[in-house]
Parts: sequence; structure tokens; C-alpha cells
Amino acid sequence: MKKRKSITPPRLAEKFFEWCCSTAAVDDLRGDMEELFYLNLERMSVMQAKFQYWKQVFALVFSYALKKRKQKSSYHTLSSNTFNTSMLKNYFLIASRNLIKHKFFTIINVLGLAVGMSMSLLLIALLSFLWTYDDFHENKNNIYRIISKTDDHVSNREFASAPAILADRLKNEYHGVKEVVRIDKTLNVEAMYDGNQLPLNGYFVDSNFLTVFSFPLLKGNPETVLDKSNSLLITEKAAKKIFGDADPIGKVIMMGEFGEFEISGLLKNHPRNSHMQFEVLTSYQNLEKSSPFQINESTEESWKEFRNSYVYMLLPDRADTKDVEKYLNSIAQEAYKKEENFSASFELQSIKDIAPGRELYNEIGTDWGYAAILIFVVLTLLILLPACFNYSNISISRALKRMKEIGLRKVMGGQRNQILLQFITETVIITFIALGISYYLFTLVRYEFLSVIVGGHDVVSLDTNAQTIFYFILFALIVGVLTGIVPGLYFAKLNPIQALKSKPTGSNAKFNLRKALTVFQFALSLGFIMSVVIVLSQYRQTINYNFGFDQANILDVNLQEVDPQLFRNEFTKLSSVQSMSMSSHVMGAGSSGSTWVMGADQTDSVEVSQMFIDYNYLSNLNLKLLAGKNFVENASANSNRVIVNEEFLKHFKVAQPIDAIDQLFLLEDNQEVVVIGVVKNFHYASLREPIKSFFFRYDASHFSIANIKVASSDMFTSITEMESAWKSMGGEKKFESKFFEDEIADAYSFYFAMVKICGFLGLLAITISCLGLLGMVVFTVENRTKEIGVRKVMGASTSTITMLLSKDFAKLMLIAALIATPITYLFFDGIFLKMQYYKLPIGAFEIIASLLLMLVLGFVTILSQTVKAAKANPVDTLRNE
Amino acid sequence: MKGYIGEFEELVLLTIASLGDEAYGVSVKENIEKRADRGISIGALHSTITRLEEKGFIKSRLGDPTQERGGRAKRFFELTHDGKVALHHMKDLRDELWKISKTTLSLSK
Repeated sequence: MKKRKSITPPRLAEKFFEWCCSTAAVDDLRGDMEELFYLNLERMSVMQAKFQYWKQVFALVFSYALKKRKQKSSYHTLSSNTFNTSMLKNYFLIASRNLIKHKFFTIINVLGLAVGMSMSLLLIALLSFLWTYDDFHENKNNIYRIISKTDDHVSNREFASAPAILADRLKNEYHGVKEVVRIDKTLNVEAMYDGNQLPLNGYFVDSNFLTVFSFPLLKGNPETVLDKSNSLLITEKAAKKIFGDADPIGKVIMMGEFGEFEISGLLKNHPRNSHMQFEVLTSYQNLEKSSPFQINESTEESWKEFRNSYVYMLLPDRADTKDVEKYLNSIAQEAYKKEENFSASFELQSIKDIAPGRELYNEIGTDWGYAAILIFVVLTLLILLPACFNYSNISISRALKRMKEIGLRKVMGGQRNQILLQFITETVIITFIALGISYYLFTLVRYEFLSVIVGGHDVVSLDTNAQTIFYFILFALIVGVLTGIVPGLYFAKLNPIQALKSKPTGSNAKFNLRKALTVFQFALSLGFIMSVVIVLSQYRQTINYNFGFDQANILDVNLQEVDPQLFRNEFTKLSSVQSMSMSSHVMGAGSSGSTWVMGADQTDSVEVSQMFIDYNYLSNLNLKLLAGKNFVENASANSNRVIVNEEFLKHFKVAQPIDAIDQLFLLEDNQEVVVIGVVKNFHYASLREPIKSFFFRYDASHFSIANIKVASSDMFTSITEMESAWKSMGGEKKFESKFFEDEIADAYSFYFAMVKICGFLGLLAITISCLGLLGMVVFTVENRTKEIGVRKVMGASTSTITMLLSKDFAKLMLIAALIATPITYLFFDGIFLKMQYYKLPIGAFEIIASLLLMLVLGFVTILSQTVKAAKANPVDTLRNE
Repeated sequence: MKGYIGEFEELVLLTIASLGDEAYGVSVKENIEKRADRGISIGALHSTITRLEEKGFIKSRLGDPTQERGGRAKRFFELTHDGKVALHHMKDLRDELWKISKTTLSLSK
């Protein structure tokens, strides 16, 4: 064994063993292991010997022998390593006494942490829900989908979708897959049933869809339910929407351009945690039959068709996805060989990795990309971390007060570990109280939170269960321990002699960190406040924007299948109705329909937005005709006439409005239309989109909304009057009306979602930063009581002392303002540029208002303490010592 | 149950006896492994030794640290009187059972 002295037992194992044994006497055991190690070196390779050594370490660590020895050493008379419950009880007692004694700081700390943690609770509840996504599928371990990476030499993109042709090739030529399912999500139609028109969204799927995925059927035979063409599966929720309580099976509904469908099965509502969201399912054959599909039938084209088509597959147990990928890419290479500027490769993605998962274009349903989650995590940390730092800060800055206690503990034999534990216990108690409060905050905001994320209530549930509560408690414990460690270590390190003399150990550098932190917190708060103000003013400016038409005093009534002519006859009789027009959509709020239009002598068609109106519409909304004339009152005479906008002229290269009159155009269904008028450009869609080619048409069958200009000043009586008039026509249906202005405002309600988010975050941030500032100010003031007393005695006035105390903090806030203002401005400038085509300026007013708000809050916090200190009678303060 | 010893405990006790002054962790382990032709874990061995010591069948003393094994001392074991009595009990019990066995235990035919 001496020849190989240079080889030693693994260091890490030795350290680990030492750590496990702590104070127990194990010299002989280590000797034994070392001797065996050198013996082993002669019998086997170095690697093996080292492995044996590790094995021995573990065998001993868990052995009875070591347990006994540790027990013995712990109860040794000289040992202080005993960790028993009585000590824990003591920590708890001392901690609660301390917390009760310093009520003010306890309240600041608890509030700060509670506010900081409430956001984290949201995140935890959300994440713990997201992690259950798609785990209700029985085959979840073996379901994969094909995702595509395309490269067209301009950009590389990753799609969740894949060409449907891959599925055919896999099914026919490859033997390693059990099932292949094609899904196409273009089944989005206005369904007609019993005179009612309702939007329905769903998928075209292969008939094995229900065997691969676990979406249970309530009615119908899962084996055959999709076999017949034009059979439709419907979810309970959608069935209720269309048929009410009647049994949907066997009912026939009209699915837009896809024709008539018979309901053959009733699906149980899919759980919220499904990444696929649909209302109806039908067989893939129905898609193949429909016309747009046949155009793409040529194979070259179908290899480039990524939109809306998805390929899922079921593999056998423990199958190797690499083999399938290799096969897919080999056929892809062949298929794209001829393409010069395009290629694609394919990958398999397990259903468990879909949501939350990678950011992919063209996601089939709910999109839970990592990026969105990451942003949320960052925001949460931005709120939580300052709260934790505040706690550490305040605890350390109170060091002076507790120096004596710590010093005495140390002199009496208190160990570092014990002092550390004392502080951690204290912090954990605080975080648990804070958890209670923040749980309350969490229950207050969770539904609001769901309503601001897209489709929130349908795809996420934030209800707590035992598991989430467990996570909450675990989270509070972790926050408590991590936050408590910082002040704990600081105090544990104190030199007892200095501590007893109440001399703080040098902490200048720490104070700078503290300053930086305050600046950061206030910059953050200012950012959020500014966001709220800016978004609100954007909203206000947007709805007051000149859309190019009148919106005042116009009441939009939903016709709900009432005959427009009948409605007009009845309503024009009412005294409050000044004028009335009919239209198919609400202008300026969201999208209107569109069609493809071709010039008479051209071959390429252009997408043109359209809206159906009657002859009163232009005058009712005060739209300006630049040339030509309005529709006439005789409905049939208008059927092939259109009124276009200026943008339409620009697109078809007509120089003067007057030249466009009487020009012919071809619609997509080969109908010929003639231009009879040109209107000035106006915002028919929302401000998010640019004005494009647009025309008005006249078709009474499309009217769904009556626009009533109300003359009366007493809106309430007018509306009651209308309601009674409605009863004679609408019967059971409710009278649905809304002011045009409100509808346009509703179209921009997403701004309110932003205001809510920013407002909530801002509230959290400003609370935390003000509490942190308050803690710092109180501490400074307390430490300078004597100095202030002396200064006053020497003749300083209240105002100079207030200035003296507030100056430092004011400086910090100004720096924060200087940092936050330009960043927030640039951020929103960029955001609005992307969000809204017709961007509105961010004015100086918004910035100044939010600055003032923050400064006022900050100064109130500072002055509340400094003024009190400055006013105090020096006799009291000086005697205090 | 003070008098009861298990098979492995008996093996360890007898090996310690056979090694005399040289009975310590490694030598006991190596000896048992060689003689009984079975691998034993160091954890199990030391656990058994700890139990035997608690039952009072063996006692231990730390040897002087030597240059070998990183200057770490060896812990030597020796049998106590109780230990010897326990071994005797075990042996007597065995002998008796052998004697009264009704099946012929002899291997020669």
C-alpha cells in the first residue's frame, strides 16, 4: 500500500462523512475505511476502489453504529449540540416577545411581506394549475405531436402545426406508430339553428380522435360517432348555448359554408387544463370535401400548408421518438428538394410539454409559452424581492437596539447556530402571519386576475386545494428562512465584546446598498404609477378620437331576428326616435366582415372590408360623401351597388373620387357591383388597425343592428318606451340596446385590463417601498434623537431640523424619478407603437402627474416621522438617555 | 433476552476470539470474508459490533495512533466474560441438538 501513497480516498466522500458525523468520535471508522481503501487498491482499479469507499461511507452513515455514536456524543456532558424541542420553544417564546415589544416594526414587516407575497401566491396557484395541463389524457405518456421548423431564407419559425400530408405518409409507410390523428382548426362558423345565428368553433378530426385523446362522450358510441359524414359532436356547453335544455342528438344545424350537420354525439365539457379548446368536432372527410381544400390538393402545395393543420400521434409504450423524427425528416428532405427558398424540418413534442411549453407560432389552443410565464415570474420577483430586502434591511438597521441582547447571549455561551436559528424563527413567524394576510389579498384579487388574462375563466382555475395550500405554506417557510438568514448571519457574526459595548461593526458599504435598493424600489413604483396614468389617458384620448363619424346620442339595438322593416315601422312611430338606420355591424368596434374583390379588368383579387347598411346610415352617422350619391330607399334597386372609401380608390388606382362612379368590380362569388358613391375615410375598425379598402353594401337580410338617433333628453323614458314597443315584436326575447359611444369604449376595454394589472402592481410596489422608506426614516430618527435634542437646545429651528432629516431621503427619491421617467416613457412609446396603428402621443401631463403622486406619497412618509422628531421637546429627548 | 445472540453476532464474536490481540474493524471484516466466503458491509459489521458492546459481550479500547492509515487509531475488541458465557451457551445448545437429532446428520454414506 505504500507504493501508491499518492492516491487518496475521495475527498468529497471524506468531507461528507465528516459532515454527517459532526461531533461523534469516528476516528477508528475512518481509519478502517482508509485501510480498506488501500487494500482495495491492490485488488481493483482506482475507480472501483473509490466507488467502494463511497459505498462504505453510505453504509456507515445510515448504520446503527453511527447513530449510536452520534447519540452518545450529543448527550455528552460537554456537548452543546443538543437540539431539542425545549430550545425551539424558547426561540419561539423570545421571538414572540420581541415581535410584541416592537409592535411598530412588526406591523411594517408583516404588511410589507404580506403585500409582497400576495403576488407570489397568485403565481404559485397559477403554476400549480399549469403543471396539471393535459394530464387527464390516459395516453399522455405516448401522445406526441409534430412541430415544424421552417426556413424560407428570411426568417426561421417554429410552428405548432405541420402539413397534413405527413399524417398520410406516416400512416401508409411507417410502422412504428399506433395511431395518427389529423386535426384542422378551421371549423369556425356562424352556425344557424332555428333562426338563431351563433358562432361555433371546433376542429375537423380523424375518426380515431376519441380513442387517442380522453375526451369522454356522454351520448353516442365513441367507435362510430365520427364515421358518418356530416355528423357533428358537440360539447355540453355549446349544446346548451344552441339548443337550450333540449336533447341535441339528431338535431340538424347549418354550419356556414360547410353545409348541414347532424349532431351525433354529446361530449363532456373538456377540462380547463386542456390545451385543445373546442365546441364541436367533425370528421376530417368533411374538410376534404369542402372547396378551399381541393385547390391545395397538389402535393407540392400541401407540403407548404402549415396553417391550422396539426398532426398528433399515439406511439407504442417506450417508443423512441428519434426514429419517427428521422423518418419524417427523410421524407421532408425529399419533398422540399425542389424548393429553392423553403425548407422545413420536423420534431416530435410530447403532449406533456405543450402547455406550458415552448413558444410556437400557430398554437392550436391555449398558449402558455414559457416567455409569458417568465414575464410573470419576473414581475412577481420584482415585487417579492424588495419586500424581503426591506425586512432584512430593517432588521439589520435595528442592530444597535439588539446588540446588547446578542452580546449577552454570546457571553452566556450562545452559539452561532442558536443565534441564527433565533432570527430565522422570528422571520418565519412573521412570514406566517404575513401569509395569512396575503392569502386574504389573494382571494380578493384572483378573480380579477383571471378576467384580465385572455379567456381566463375558461382555461385557468385558481381555486385552492390541499396541494396549493401546502405549496403556500412551503413558500412562506422558504421565504422566512431565506429572509431570516441575512440578518441572522449578521448578528451571529458579531463580536460579543463589541456587541456589549453597543458598537456597530463598520457598515458603510451596507448603507450604500440600502440606498440603491430604495432608489430601485421607488423607480419601480414610479414606473407602475406612470403606466396607470399613461394607459388611462391613452384610453381617454382613444375614445375621444375623431373616428370620422358621429357617435353621440345613437342607441344601437340588437334586432335578434326581428324583421328590420317591421322594426322600422314600429319604432319610427316613437316620439323620441329622431332618425333610424340599419347595419350589419357596429362600426369602429372590432372587425367587420370582408370579401375579395377584383377590378373588372384585373386578375388579382384584393381583400376588402364590407358592411351592410341602409339608405339612412350615412346621414345618421354623418359620413361625408365626396362624390356620387347614397343608396336609394327601394331595397331591390341597391342590390349590386356599393359605396367605397378613399382607400379603396387608392388601391384600385382611381385618381379622383368622381372617376370611380359607375366603375364595375367583381366580388368573390362572381357578383358584379357598381360604385355609386365615395365616402371620406373613416375608422370602420378599431384604431389598432390601419384604414384599408372598404365598401358599404345594401342587403336587408344582413341587418342585425338598428342605429337609433335619440332626440329626447330624458333617456330613461325613451328607453322604457322602446322596450314596450319591442315587446310587441320580439316577444320573449329581451330588448338589447347599447349606446354607440359605450360600444366603442368597450372595444378598447383591454386598456382597462392593463390599468388593472399596472394598478395592482403599482399599489403593491408603492406600499412596499413606502413601508421600507418608513422603516428607514424611523430608524434614522430614533438614532438621532439625542443629536436633534442638542441641536434644538443650541437654537436650531423645527424647519431646519426637518430639512436636515429629510434631505437624504428626498435625494434618493429624485434619483429614482430620474431613472424611471425615461425608461417608462420609452417602454410605452414602443408598446403603443405596436399595439395601435393610430398612435396617440404621451403628453408631459401624464409624466408630471405621476411624478407628483409618487413624490407626495414619499414625502408624506418621510415628513410624518421627521416633523414629529423635529417638534419634540429637547428636554424629553435628552433626558431619555 | 440478554443471552440471545444471532448467527452473525456469533460469527463476529468467534472471529474476534480467533484474532486475539489483533482484532479490529478491518481484520475482523477481512477474516470473516475470507473464511465464510461472503462479502460483508462495513456498516453492518460496525452495527453488530456496537450491539455486542451494548450487550456487554465485548469491550473495546483505542490503540495508539500509528503511521499507517493516515495516523488514525485502531479500535481493538476483546471478549468479556459474558461474551464467553454466551458463546458457551450457544455451543451447548448446538451440541445437544446435534446429539438428539433423529435424522442422521453424518454426510458419509
